[in-house]
Amino acid sequence: MKNRLKVLRAERDWTQADLAHALDVSRQAVNAIETGKHDPSLPLAFRIARLFGGSVEDIFLMDDKESES
Amino acid sequence: MTIKSPAERPRARGPAMTRNCRNQRLVLLWSLVWMSSFVGVTLALKEGWLASGAPGIVAAVVSAGLGLGTALAYRRFLNEADEVQRKIELEALALGFGVGLIGGFAYWLLERSGAVPTSKSDLLYVLAATCFTYSAGVLLGRRRYA
Repeated sequence: MKNRLKVLRAERDWTQADLAHALDVSRQAVNAIETGKHDPSLPLAFRIARLFGGSVEDIFLMDDKESES
Repeated sequence: MTIKSPAERPRARGPAMTRNCRNQRLVLLWSLVWMSSFVGVTLALKEGWLASGAPGIVAAVVSAGLGLGTALAYRRFLNEADEVQRKIELEALALGFGVGLIGGFAYWLLERSGAVPTSKSDLLYVLAATCFTYSAGVLLGRRRYA
């Protein structure tokens, strides 16, 4: 799953640590999600969407292969 | 939820990291106390400082109680950890289980089939291998998701 987390974070001039603090997760978690190594759980995805003032679909995008299956 | 501007950012670690570190320290502390009690009781029984029978049983139960404390501290750490931390722990536990338990059984079978020389196999070696590979798995996971 792809995501726009890094772009949205950069637009706001937030560091990974700032975002981790706001989401109450570790910086590792933010990095793992940004780099696509970890897909967040549904509650965390909603928390991220709420923080950026959008919907989950605005931030997380299904890969072509994933959406076909 | 608001995030301060770069100039106002707190330098301290976030609440999740602080909580993780505190819980990890507690697990480490409990583990050290438990392992010390285990080694102490084993040594005391071996050297005869502790009589077998009731005193030995009491010492073993106390050591097991400390082990239970370690398990509860670890459960608390997992409950309060974020999902990536849990993933790291899960992968490390799987590695520890795979290498320690399955490797131990495989070696046991190989020993009996004559493929490897017979040694003084001991359950402690299996447990040590499990602990070592689990620790290595945690370190690798932290590096992978860092």
